[in-house]
Amino acid sequence: MSDHHQREIDPVTGYDTTGHEWNGIKELNTPFPRIAIWALLITVVYAVIAWILLPAWPLGRDYTRGLLGLNQGDMAVAGYRDISDWRGEWLAKMETGDFEVLRADADLMATAMPAAERLFADNCAACHGETGQGGPGFPVLSDAHWLWGADPEAIAETIRFGINSGHPDARIAEMPAFDWMSREERAAVARYVSGLPEGRDGAGVAADLFAENCASCHGDGGEGGLEIGAPSLRDAAVIYGQDSRTVQETLRGGRAGTMPAWTDRLSEAEIRLLTLYVAGLAEAGGEGAE
Amino acid sequence: MLKLHYNLEKVSMGLVVGIIVAASIGGIVEIAPLFSINETVELPDDLRPHTPLELAGREIYIREGCYACHSQMVRSLADELDRYGPYSLAAESAYDRPMLWGSKRTGPDLARLGGKYSDDWHVAHLIDPRSVVPASIMPSYPWLMRPLEIGLLRDELATLARLGVPYDEAMIEGAANDALAQSRPDSDGAEAVIERYGETVAIRSFDGDPSKLTEMDAVVAYLQSLGTLTNAPYELLAEGAE
Amino acid sequence: MINTLSLSERRLGLVLSVLLAVLGLVMAAAARHGAMAVHGGMAMVLGVALAVKLAAALDDPLPAAGRASRYYDAPTRFGIVMTLIWAMIGMGAGVWVAALLYWPEATPLLPWTSFGRLRPVHTTGIIFGFGGNALIATSFFVVQRTSRTRLADSVSPWVVLLGFNLFCLWGVSGYLMGSTQSKEYAEAEWYADIWLVVVWVTYFILYLRTLARRHEPHIYVANWYYLAFILVVAMLHIVNNLALPVRLTTAESFPIWAGVQDAMVQWWYGHNAVAFFLTAGFLGMLYYFLPVRSGRPIWSYRLSILSFWGIVFFYIWVGSHHLHYTALPYWAQTLGMTFSVMLLVPSWASAGNAIATLNGAWHKVRDDATLRFMFVAAVFYGLSTFEGSFLAIRPVNSLSHYTDWTVGHVHSGTLGWVAMIIFGAIYTLVPQISGRETMASPRAVEWHFWLAVTGTLIYVVAMWNAGITQGLMWRAYDENGALSYSFIESVRAMAPYYLLRTIGGAMFLAGAVICALNCRATMRAAPIEAADRPLATQPAE
Ligand code: HEC
Ligand code: HEC
Ligand code: HEC
Ligand code: HEM
Ligand code: HEM
Ligand SMILES: [Ca+2]
Ligand SMILES: [Ca+2]
Ligand SMILES: [Cu+2]
Repeated sequence: MSDHHQREIDPVTGYDTTGHEWNGIKELNTPFPRIAIWALLITVVYAVIAWILLPAWPLGRDYTRGLLGLNQGDMAVAGYRDISDWRGEWLAKMETGDFEVLRADADLMATAMPAAERLFADNCAACHGETGQGGPGFPVLSDAHWLWGADPEAIAETIRFGINSGHPDARIAEMPAFDWMSREERAAVARYVSGLPEGRDGAGVAADLFAENCASCHGDGGEGGLEIGAPSLRDAAVIYGQDSRTVQETLRGGRAGTMPAWTDRLSEAEIRLLTLYVAGLAEAGGEGAE
Repeated sequence: MLKLHYNLEKVSMGLVVGIIVAASIGGIVEIAPLFSINETVELPDDLRPHTPLELAGREIYIREGCYACHSQMVRSLADELDRYGPYSLAAESAYDRPMLWGSKRTGPDLARLGGKYSDDWHVAHLIDPRSVVPASIMPSYPWLMRPLEIGLLRDELATLARLGVPYDEAMIEGAANDALAQSRPDSDGAEAVIERYGETVAIRSFDGDPSKLTEMDAVVAYLQSLGTLTNAPYELLAEGAE
Repeated sequence: MINTLSLSERRLGLVLSVLLAVLGLVMAAAARHGAMAVHGGMAMVLGVALAVKLAAALDDPLPAAGRASRYYDAPTRFGIVMTLIWAMIGMGAGVWVAALLYWPEATPLLPWTSFGRLRPVHTTGIIFGFGGNALIATSFFVVQRTSRTRLADSVSPWVVLLGFNLFCLWGVSGYLMGSTQSKEYAEAEWYADIWLVVVWVTYFILYLRTLARRHEPHIYVANWYYLAFILVVAMLHIVNNLALPVRLTTAESFPIWAGVQDAMVQWWYGHNAVAFFLTAGFLGMLYYFLPVRSGRPIWSYRLSILSFWGIVFFYIWVGSHHLHYTALPYWAQTLGMTFSVMLLVPSWASAGNAIATLNGAWHKVRDDATLRFMFVAAVFYGLSTFEGSFLAIRPVNSLSHYTDWTVGHVHSGTLGWVAMIIFGAIYTLVPQISGRETMASPRAVEWHFWLAVTGTLIYVVAMWNAGITQGLMWRAYDENGALSYSFIESVRAMAPYYLLRTIGGAMFLAGAVICALNCRATMRAAPIEAADRPLATQPAE
């Protein structure tokens, strides 16, 4: 049997074999390489040191806490506090202070805008687009037209509590459904509204219907600017679309878009920072459109 | 030692026993204490389980493999607190079977997602992510607009209750109705959902059409519930930040 | 295959096939619709097909006398064919999901073509289908040769192989239909999990019974590893998959573990799926095929002992390194980290032992692509275990976790180590069980080797870059204390790497296709009787 094989010397390494053989496979009786022992020892020492310093071994209902007394949650919060302090050097100025003054501070703006850009990209761009260009159902922020007014305080208010967001202080913007109108009436009004941006208003049944039902919110002739959340219907910037079909849909079902409230997610300073950023988008975009 | 082993290798059952013993220790030492050490999971008083509609959404989240790209675990690292919000507590997933902490962030973490976006946005994003985020590489899920199967919900709640999730008899019996009612704010059942699951539950027509209960309703209800089942992590962070 | 069975074995096979068909029918009838019904149907079709085949072959000529003095290689041959089929499925799905991350709309908007459903098809198909079949097939081959005996039984190898492949098929087709438990690497539903336990117990008994018939008092190292693979995978699988079905007639179930305990159990399982499925079993493979192919003795028996017990003991502790900084208690993370570092020593002891074994055979490594596959495997085994121990250190993991660095590490292990050692083993044993000296096309082996190595390097280097870029972008702060990058910028930065990965993966897949064609040609040309070789007297075949 193979157990009785002769031990033999391997000519390449000079070590002898163990004397076993399996289907031609043999093993050398090479002594433990020192380096393996040392490596094991070093890693064990490393582990023991870690166990002494850090929380490590469970003991029934408790565990060893380690000499350093570390708690990962507290460490993370401390690190977060450090970052907040670091940022606070300039961000704190955003928390209060007049928007015009802040905006005039060029150094502050140079520091703040990259941070605002990142905040906008992570939180707002999903709806308003990366450059504030908006999208179907989400208003453009890079134009000079504001649903609730161009005053930065008004913009901040919108960001803070949102629109139709469910927050108790949210702005409420509801476009009622005009389902009581006949189909024909809605089509006529829609045709009328879709012509407004090109300046085709004219008179007639549709214009009368508009004046009676819509002007209270959208302003005379759809001028907008009443700062109650109803958009101007005369400019090119639309939320849902101002082609006749979309407008008919708007009239039939009504609209109430939701802008989330950010006050629980972002700090007051961040909200005001974003306000400046958004206002800046409008200026840049507004110029571009001119 | 070597001699011992020399003999051990001659006995297959010896190897078997040796392997079983050597490979059992680590698991026992690391898993058993997670049940016996109280501070491992400290259940806050305000923690609520998922509503039936959210649970159905969770099952769809699992079915579609969203967990392959999204984590639901804000790690205890300063930059993650900064980007996503308070770090995740063990208690938050105490009723989660299975947990969905994830292991890859091809997309962002979702643990603090609830309330970040509107229902409309989620619907648009799930149907075609690139319509709202042009650079997105997330798949489109247009088929979520199909009707939601609610036949199994009652048994699902019952099974979870047997495993220890605090669903009471009324919740189990009302599961299917509650799922419908949560997506119909004007229905009679809506009150009952609030009564059973608390004020923080969102009662809305998530997909915008209250007349049909779709898979989209369920997924969006689930997504809007993420991070809102308890306020504990937010309180902890606020305390720590002072 | 059937001509290798005796009449009583054919009858037993017939009974088992009918039982399988009945089981499938019951499942399908009870579930009525959904994944479980489809899976019942699959079992039924398989059972009926096997029954028909066996019934038709009852009167076929019986195997020649003296069967006991031959190896039973027909199951190995079948297992290798399945390995290659699953390689196509698993790697094909891998390239597909890789492409989807670059072209999200590469394939039509059907539920089953979406990333989240295909990804587990890739992981299950490749780990269980490709890796598992290779392990089972080679374990049968190796245990017979190192024990110089025939498999203890002729029916149970088929139960193991067919049953295991049914499990893989259930898993993969379930995910496509949206049926999954979502536990990574254990996604298959509860009834499939139970089925696998039955298959696995059969496997274990067969393995032990064969070892019991060995003609060499000592059990060879390769078998220690195969044993550890079989035993520990059973333990992990059962504990991690404990679940309560919603109804006995539906696929849905809820795990008995919840939250943080579920996470710990999941990664205790998940990491050791790596350790005992993707490592221990393949070390068994390496320990047989490397010395055989190189004609060299194992460099150090003592090092084998150290690395074996080190691996078995240390590995089981380290699962918590998948949960660093999470809601898992810190103490468990410390244990995971420290044991991962200690684990490096036995891991490198195995890799070193393998490479040192090649001393005196370097000219063969140069000339023989098959041996080169094994050499590269040993090197990547060393690389990926070093990387693994490094990634397990908490601060490193704070950067790497959730990123493509993990994916890079995974594929340096799976492409560089697991797949390479499988190919080395296949190229060694396929000619043998086909009664030939060499593969049908040795040149194709050479081509395969270079495609595989280049593909792996492109894949792994791309993912290292991707992962480290991602990790750094997520945590980068500008000089004013503000995060520098939004999440979507990190998504955009991945595009070139995802493209490169797709190319590297396609090269690797192309190599595997060449391998499959080459094996087909080799097996086709083989004389029918070649499969079951006479027990070797001395020395190696
Ligand atoms: C879930 C989508 C969504 C997200 C995210 C979002 N918004 Fe809005 N936002 C809206 C919608 C919808 C409106 C319009 C509401 C309406 O229809 O009346 C709006 C309106 C606004 C307005 C008012 C525009 C005007 O013309 O007066 C401002 C300012 C604004 N958003 C800024 C922000 C900022 C800053 C952020 C990020 C912190 C943000 N939004 C995130 C959806 C969103
Ligand atoms: C009670 C106030 C109110 C009345 C009355 C009202 N609207 Fe509106 N309208 C709004 C508000 C608020 C919005 C913005 C809704 C949103 O953003 O979700 C809006 C939005 C619209 C839009 C979509 C604009 C876009 O940018 O896509 C159109 C078109 C419109 N209204 C037309 C009309 C017409 C036509 C009438 C009369 C038949 C009318 N509205 C009456 C408040 C009103
Ligand atoms: C292939 C990977 C992938 C899969 C699968 C995937 N996502 Fe995403 N997800 C992304 C990426 C990348 C982003 C970031 C870009 C974006 O917003 O679309 C994202 C973003 C999101 C967001 C926005 C998060 C935020 O805070 O901005 C939500 C919500 C979301 N996904 C939900 C889901 C759901 C639900 C599923 C499954 C039905 C899913 N995802 C599947 C990759 C994926
Ligand atoms: C000493 C040996 C090894 C150690 C200590 C180790 C450690 C690690 C670590 C720390 C991670 C990352 C966990 C995370 O951050 O999510 C990881 C992931 C992984 N490793 Fe290893 N690794 C080792 C060897 C291997 C080998 C040889 C393979 C493959 C053959 C492998 C396959 C994997 C897989 C598949 C994952 C991904 C798990 C997942 O998230 O899904 N590892 N490993
Ligand atoms: C053709 C070659 C391959 C390609 C193109 C490929 C591609 C991929 C892709 C794209 C992913 C998903 C990564 C993500 O979610 O970001 C993945 C994951 C994975 N692959 Fe592969 N793969 C290949 C071969 C293999 C092989 C041979 C194995 C195993 C033997 C393997 C095991 C895995 C595992 C375990 C994961 C999960 C990793 C994790 O969760 O971290 N792959 N692969
Ligand atoms: Ca993973
Ligand atoms: Ca399973
Ligand atoms: Cu691991």
